Formats: sequence, C-alpha cells, structure tokens
Amino acid sequence: MIRVKLEIWMWLGKELEEDFQSLSEMRSIREEEVEEGITIRDFIDRLAQRYQPIREKVFDRGRKSFYPHIVATLNERVISPYEVYDRVLKDGDKITVLPMYVGG
Amino acid sequence: MEIGGYVGKILRVDLSNGKTSVEELSRSFIEKWVGGAGFGARYLHEEVPAGVKWSDPENRLIWTSGPLAGSGVYGAGTFNVASKGPITNLAGCSQANGYFGAYLKFSGFDGIIFQGKAPSLVYLWIMDGKAEIRDARPLTGKDVWETEDVLRKELGVKEKDVSIYGIGPAGENGVLYSAIVGDRGHLAAHNGLGTVMGSKNLKAVVTYRGKRNFQIKDPERLKERNEALFEHAKGFGPFYQWGTGGGFSSLYGIGCLPVKNFITNIFPEHERMNGQYMRTHFEIRPMPCYMCRVAHVKEVTVTEGPYKGFVGEEPEYEQLAAWGPQIGNIDLGAVVMLTREVDRLGMDCNEASWTVGWVMECYEKGVFTKKDLDGLDMSWGNVGAVKAMLNKIARREGVGNLLAEGVMRVSQKIGGEAADWAIYTLKGCTPRSHDHRGGRWAELFDTCLTNTSTLESTWAGVHPQLVDIPAVTDPFSHEEVSTLNAKFNGIRQFDDCLGTCRIASTHPKLQLECLNAVTGWELSLEDAFNIGRRVINQLRVFNFRQGMKKEEERPSLRYGSIPVDGPAQGKNIMEKWDWMVKNYYTLMGWDPETGKPLPKTLEELHLKDLIKDL
Repeated sequence: MIRVKLEIWMWLGKELEEDFQSLSEMRSIREEEVEEGITIRDFIDRLAQRYQPIREKVFDRGRKSFYPHIVATLNERVISPYEVYDRVLKDGDKITVLPMYVGG
Repeated sequence: MEIGGYVGKILRVDLSNGKTSVEELSRSFIEKWVGGAGFGARYLHEEVPAGVKWSDPENRLIWTSGPLAGSGVYGAGTFNVASKGPITNLAGCSQANGYFGAYLKFSGFDGIIFQGKAPSLVYLWIMDGKAEIRDARPLTGKDVWETEDVLRKELGVKEKDVSIYGIGPAGENGVLYSAIVGDRGHLAAHNGLGTVMGSKNLKAVVTYRGKRNFQIKDPERLKERNEALFEHAKGFGPFYQWGTGGGFSSLYGIGCLPVKNFITNIFPEHERMNGQYMRTHFEIRPMPCYMCRVAHVKEVTVTEGPYKGFVGEEPEYEQLAAWGPQIGNIDLGAVVMLTREVDRLGMDCNEASWTVGWVMECYEKGVFTKKDLDGLDMSWGNVGAVKAMLNKIARREGVGNLLAEGVMRVSQKIGGEAADWAIYTLKGCTPRSHDHRGGRWAELFDTCLTNTSTLESTWAGVHPQLVDIPAVTDPFSHEEVSTLNAKFNGIRQFDDCLGTCRIASTHPKLQLECLNAVTGWELSLEDAFNIGRRVINQLRVFNFRQGMKKEEERPSLRYGSIPVDGPAQGKNIMEKWDWMVKNYYTLMGWDPETGKPLPKTLEELHLKDLIKDL
C-alpha cells in the first residue's frame, strides 16, 4: 500500500467537513492509503464516488475525467491532462485540483 | 431608427474648428458592423490613412456604444474606444463599463468621432441630441476624480445624472500609456487612448442621462432571456460572490501570477491578497454599473495594516496582481492605495506595473542606483516609492519622463542585459497582469498576435464549450493552443460590438438571443462569429497599411522565457512558436508566410474593398 494526497483549492471545506483537513478557507486536503499501481484517474474517481462535492464540482464520473475548467498539478507542477489520467501514483504523491477561470 | 437598439446617429466633433455635426447611420452599415469595436474599426480604416501619426490631429478618436447598451440587459453601459494608439503605432480597441454607453444613446447618439485638435483644453457636453464644446482650462492638471467632481458641481447635476469620462495628468502630459477614465474608476486602458485624447486637448466628455429613445423589438423575449443571462452570470466562476479577485489564488496555483517581473513564480502570501480575503476582511460597498445585478464592482475601505481607513475602488484581479506580486508587495491595503493612485492619474495599470517591476529588477541588480531614480529606493515592495514614481511618470518629472515611454521603449533605450528583462510584445503592447507562461499560453499567443492591442481571440482559452468548441485538453500543447485560438477568434470581437460587460454577460448564446430580441434580427452563432471575424480582418488590414510587420508578432525575451520555478517550471512555448504562428495564420485564412488576409478570406467576409489596401 502507498499513501497519497488530494488537495482541493475550491473553498469546499464546509461541504467536505471533517474527512478533509482544512489548510485554509480555500484549501482542503485528504491523505489516503491506496493499493500500488492505482492511476490518478481511478484515485480521483474513488473519492468522487465517496464525496458529493467532488463528483459535482471536480470530477465527472460519467466521462471519467475532470470537468473542463479543472486544472490539476502533481507535486505542485502543472501536468498535462493527457498524462494525468494514466499516471500511476507513487508513495507520497500529491494531486492538487483547482478551477481555471475565464476572467481576471 | 427602424432597427431596435439604435438611435441611428453619429456625432462628429471637429476640435480644430470647434464645429459639431450629426451623421445618419445607414441600415447596411449597422448590419455589417453592428456597433462598438465594429463601428470603430471601420471608421478608423476609412478616415485614418497610412502615415498618419497617432499624435496627428488627423488621427481619429472614436467612441461607440452598442445595440445592447441601455437596452435593459443587465450591466450594459459599455462603450468602445478606437484609435491609432501610441504604444503600438497600430489600432487600439478598448472598452470601458460604467454608464457612458447607455447615457450616450439616451442623449441621442450611437457614437462620437473626434478629429482635429482643440487650440486649448476643452470638454464636450452632450444632452438631448445636442453637443457643445466648452472651455476646460480650469481643469488643467486635475486628476480624473477631481475632474468628475468639478464638472458635476459646475453643471449642477447629481452623481448619476451624467456620465463623465476624461483624462488625468498622465494624458495631458503625453504619458504613452494614458487611459480614458470615468464613472468613478472605469477605464478604456490599452494602447494609450488617453494619450491620443490629450494630444487633441480634450479633457473630458460629459453625457446627460436622458431617456430611452430607441426601440426594443421584442420586450417580452428580452425580459425572459435577460433573466437567463443573469442566472448564468451568477453561477459562472467566482465573480458574483468574490469579484475578479476571486480567481487570484487559482491563477497562482497554475503558475499564472506574475511575481517580481517573472524572476520567480513563488508567492506564498496569495491567500492574503485574493478576492475572498478582501471581501471577508475589508468593508465593501456596491458600485454597480448601469442596471447591473451582478454588481461585481465595489468600493472598499481598508481595515488593517498601514493603509487602514483608506477608501478606494476595489482592485480588480489585474490590479491585485500588478500592485501585489509583480512589485513584491504583500500588503493588500497598499494595493487599494496604488490602484486608486494609478486610476486617478489616468494610466493603464498593466503597462505601469510592468514598467515599475522592470525598474525594481534593474535596481536590485545594480543597473539603476538611487541617484538614477531621483533618490527613490525602488526595492521590491516599497509601495511609498512606487507611489512617488507613478506621480513622477504622470507629470513626466525627472526619471518619470523616461519611464513615461513604457517598458519596451525605456528598456531598449537603457540597453545591455536589462533590455532582456522587460515584458512586452514586439508590437509594443504589454500583457494583462498575468504570467502567461503558466497555464495561459492561449492568452500569451493572443496578446502577441492581436490586432486590437489587447486580447482579440480568446477568453484566456477557457470555456470555449459555450460556443460549441471543445476545450483544450492540454494548456501546454502548442498544437491545441494555436488551433483553439484560431477557431475561437470572432466571438470575442462580436461581443465587443454590443455594449455589454463580459462579467455580466457570460453566455454568448444567451447574449445573442438578447440581441435578437432588441434588434429584431435572427442572427445565428455562425453569423456572430463572421461579424467578429470581419472586425478582426478589418483591423488587420488597417494595421498592415500602417506598417505592421509579422516579425513583431512575438513576445519579448522575458515574456516568452521558461519559468525557473513554480507550477509551470520548464514549460517552453517558444520551442514551436514559428509553427504555432503559421498554423494560426493558415486557420485564420491568412497567408501562412506573410500573415496578410487572403483575398478569398476578405471576399467571404464581404470585405472585397480591402483587397486593394494590402
């Protein structure tokens, strides 16, 4: 088994409640123990199945992909969404998801 | 006028001889160019021939409203300003919100064309279909807020009885990146349109509120579609709740926040400078634009830190970035103070902060000493020195006279290694206050290839699905980004023809339905794209006629450099730049080698008359 983290920068702290640690009003984080060989897609899908805010605002379970305006970073580096889905997670990896806005 | 949404009249003001006249708009002209940027682009081409300098009295300054302004569509008080601008020596098209776009129509005109140069400082008063040029010499040197105060008092009108746009000291003194500012903090900021206004000795334009004097063809349909548009805007991104600053931290997370002139992408203080922090810690009062229910524009009172008690307009995202991380400042109150300072002096905050940030890097690295900078300590984050420097720039005092030329010109003049540190496009314009080397390659590419001097083709590459175009899967794909920008191009320029605000009108299809309800037209999305592409090709032909070179459609060395740290570390857009440009030209129907619109493209857009101009 390996330990990996999902951090969400979407002000979902109240909705995700105590299952996620609140790093700030914006940032929520959860560490999970998962089996070796799991891909990012399967990891996020598993959390989306468990948490309504994630399946409604982050990950489209029907299409098995992030919603179009979501950007992901792996260990604080933006990575190609092509790469996101099939990358096999390693112990200590952290996925961060955040919204990309049109404005600003 | 039989078409809904239009008064059908253009006011022409010859500042040289003090005469005003009124011209009728033809149905065919309206249907072809729609309004706003479309009217501006066409008049500019027809009336400003090759070789006319931006400062020449023969240059035109064209203010145009659009069919939705004042129609009841929420937040529709926008107008467009077009001219040949001093920053690029090419076309400039820039929009400002507030009230002017609606009030101008209520006072009898769809637009104003200024030509010539007044013998001394004047302002224009418009009411009930009449216009009068008046003496503005007592307003000399006044900032834009004082100008509004003095004019309202002189005219004996209340705050919302009139809309006032004008220039501050920067525009009077020929700072190349002067803006046209009005309605308490709204700006047509890009390409020195305020500088052109100053060169014509035009201090301000005042238009009375008046009453709606044009038809709405289907009021019931408009009411229903307007509500749908509002509901979409409410749920679209963070703007309704948090303003444009609501996206500040997300932009940091993908490496798009400009930090210290791009020497790093690390800014851990971002959560104390975003819209969420501001609206939960500072006192906020709404300052909505004309009939706006989204009402993202606010006034703030700083409640903590050295600027506690300071009152100013709430900084938009671009100002938060410009006067925060870009200059190494971590005090949000100081951002409010500097935002107010730049606005009141009448300058574009983007160009100003790229210039100031470059000076700070030069100071840190010893290119400039304190003595070179008139005794100012331009260390990162020294907001007091920045304020003093901005005032020097606005008055062209001391070193401010040099910096008033903008970051491209001043860096080229200083030369050496420092010339490589400046952020701009080779056409001369500067990006909005992002680090586009992060997850906004679409905007970097757009900023370099634009014909308007600011964004032309994209909404930063985000949400193309709203107009039935698939989203980019990889924001760092050279192929996807250049292709998306070409496919996307058109709808944004169509939007800039309408007189609406992008934050309040977030869904192009709903906006189009509102337009059809107002005008009585039945335009399709494809029609809208074609109108926008017509505007772009018109501006591009104008620019080539004015001497634009395709070699200048590139970023400066620093703007196109590879991030050294942060979320986008190592990403290199320049690796395939030439391929991207050629791909984009081809998809736009332009010659892949010269970038000029092909005759076939112009014919398809009903612009056959422009073929001879290339």
